[in-house]
Parts: sequence; C-alpha cells; structure tokens
Amino acid sequence: MDEKKAAILGEIPRLRRYARSLLRDRDSADDLVQDCLERALVRLDNWQTGESPRRWLFTIMHHLFIDQMRKVNRRGEAAMLPLEAGEAQAAPADQVESIASREIIDALQAISPDRRAALVMVAIEGFSYAEAANILGVPAGTLMSRIARGREELRGLLDDTARRRSIRIVEK
Amino acid sequence: MTRRDFTERDIHMALDGELPGEERMAYDAWLEANPEMKARSARFVADRAALRAAFAGVLDEPVPARLKQAVFGETTVRASALRSRWWLSAAAAAVLVIGGLAGYVAGIDRIGGGNESEDLLAEQAIAAHVIYAAEKRHAVEVPASDKDHLQTWLSNRVGLRLVAPDLEAEGFQLVGGRLLPAGQGKAAMLLYEDASGERISLFVTAESAGKSKGTYAAEADGPEAVYWLDKGYGCAVVGSLPRERLAAVAKSAYGQLLAGLAS
Repeated sequence: MDEKKAAILGEIPRLRRYARSLLRDRDSADDLVQDCLERALVRLDNWQTGESPRRWLFTIMHHLFIDQMRKVNRRGEAAMLPLEAGEAQAAPADQVESIASREIIDALQAISPDRRAALVMVAIEGFSYAEAANILGVPAGTLMSRIARGREELRGLLDDTARRRSIRIVEK
Repeated sequence: MTRRDFTERDIHMALDGELPGEERMAYDAWLEANPEMKARSARFVADRAALRAAFAGVLDEPVPARLKQAVFGETTVRASALRSRWWLSAAAAAVLVIGGLAGYVAGIDRIGGGNESEDLLAEQAIAAHVIYAAEKRHAVEVPASDKDHLQTWLSNRVGLRLVAPDLEAEGFQLVGGRLLPAGQGKAAMLLYEDASGERISLFVTAESAGKSKGTYAAEADGPEAVYWLDKGYGCAVVGSLPRERLAAVAKSAYGQLLAGLAS
C-alpha cells in the first residue's frame, strides 16, 4: 500500500472526531470526512513530504466545512439553530451520551462555526495556537479571540441550560 | 522574573499550554490572589474535560467502510461508471451464491407475527410503498433521469453503496428514489413501474438486527414485502404483484443490490 494513503488512513479517526464536534450528526460528519478524503486524494501531489498528514488533512477539511457553512448561511437555512438540550435531536442509538455530554455537545453546536472550530482545534484536538491558526488560515490574535469568546459563549449556554433545568424542577 | 499584569486572556493561554514557562509561577500567584479569576479558570478546565469526554468515544469507533474506500479511490461518484459495467456479471455470481432464494421466498410464508426487527423493516417498507407508490407526480425526490446523482446521494445518506438494480428484464423501469427515516436511521426507497403502471418499491437500510429473510404482509389484501436482513443492511421489495412475479423481481433486485454493496 501507498505510504501516503496509509498515513491518511491513520488520520481518519481524528478527522471523524473533529467533524463530529463540528456537525454533531454522525452521517453529516462522515460525509464531511469523505469529502475531505476525496479532495485530499485528488491533491495528493500537493502534500509535501515531511508535512504532517494531520495538519494537511485538517486544513482541507476545515475549508470544506467553512464553505459549507457559508452556503448554508447564504441559503438562509435554519441549519444552525441552537437546540434545546436533548430535545430537538435524538442521539444515534449506538452513541450513548451522558446528560453532561449531550448538554455540552448541544451547546457547542450553538456557538458560531468559526469559534467552534477554533475551540475544538485547540481544546479537543490539542493543536498549538500556531498550528491551529495555520490550519484555520487566520492570524494568531484572531484565533485567540475566537477561542476566548467561544469558551465564554459555551459556558454561558451551559449556565443557561442549568438554569432552565432548575426552573423546570421548581415548576414540577 | 518579569512582572506583568495578567488578564483573562492569560487564563486561556495557560489552559491551552501557551503561557511561557517562566510566567507560570507569577500566573499561579495571580490566580490565587483573584478568586473570581480562579473560579473562571476552574470552570473552563471542567468544560474542556467535558468536551474531551463527549467526543473521546469517536476515536474508538470502527472506521466506516465508505471512508476507507474513499482513501483507496473507490468512491461512489468516481467508480460508478466502472461499476456499472462489471456489476452485471458480479450480480449473476451473487445470485448463484445466494442459491435457492426463490425456494425460501415460496417456502417461508409469514403473514404478520414473529420477530420484531424484520417485521419493523417490512412494515416501514410497506408503509412507504403505500404512501409514495400512490403518488403520481410526487412519488420520488430524485427522478431516474438523474440516476447517478440518485445513487450517490442515497448511498451517502444511508451509508451503503447503493446501485439501483436494473429490472427491465422483469418489465420494470426505475422511476426514481427518495430518502426516508427508518428506525433510528435512514432508508433509501427506489420506485419502479411496469408498462401497465404497476409499481413496486425497494426499501434499503443500513440497520439490521440479525440475519433473516421472508415475506410479510400487513394486511391480507395489501401489498406484500419480500425482505432480507443481514449484518449491516436490510432490504425489502414491496408490491401487489402475484407471488411468483414478486419473488422473481425480488430475486433479481437482491442479487444486484448485493453485488452493488460488495463492490
């Protein structure tokens, strides 16, 4: 087997995790990964030896994600509506999520795609600021402010969810 | 040691491992002196742990076959032209492998009752058929004239490599297809029509509980479903045809679907 393809194959689990955190729906996430892999294969020659396959693939996938988000926004679709935790979208049967996980996944979906991508890239995927800025194609300062705002927004949403939950309990 | 004022920004940098090592002690001291900032930092640390935990399982999931196939350049889009030439022979081989299909279609006659998951598949397939086969103008979402797109789209959504079987030998032409909900997942429905306007539909889903096959009818005089469930997929052919004709159509459809899935 081609060495490059073997390296790409090894990155699929990480790409799937990143895609899932961006899109939540498992099929849509895998569609994004598939698009990314297909594009990567067409551009195999652009991948310079020595360059980390992970960074290269994440860059490709991020561009696809952002393009998709822009198209969705242009069409004015309500694809980005924040979800009431655990109510609007049932988790796939084989994906057991704790309530805490579901709440944070829902909250993550509710923050802006740019902030979501920046936060996930650093907080979950473990890229450095320099690497993440490079992949997302933004200056380091922009990246930092997206991360900071993303984290604050996420926390705010979780606080809201907790408040709503306690109101519900009180109403009962 | 350089003295400087820390801000909230440093909380993020510290959390992300971007705070220069020589500033760490001063930062920790600042955090201790500012309970509000310390609490904020603790919340962010907890949120990050929750985020990581929420997605940790994804790394352990088996990689879907379609993604592996994408790496080896065997994607549905690009391979469709190639596949269309050789699946006919593969289909013939598959039918041989399946062997006595007509036999069990005739032999197993289950009307109602029995195993839940197979009944569920058959019931969903029949319900879809009853609703959409009756529609003249809105029976399908994507017409047969756009077959390549139809196959690619449904394959991607359902998570199986779908090839719309060629049923012309049985007198049926593809009308088109649509995407439907099925249990927790999605199903593809392909609609066919013969010269007299009689319609049959194929219902395919990636969900399946076990291995089984049989026929099913929700009502005595309603359409009948011939179904197969195997590991990773289930399919049903639904129509109001005489038993023998439905069995023949189903056999042909199944052989081709199987060849498509394995391609």
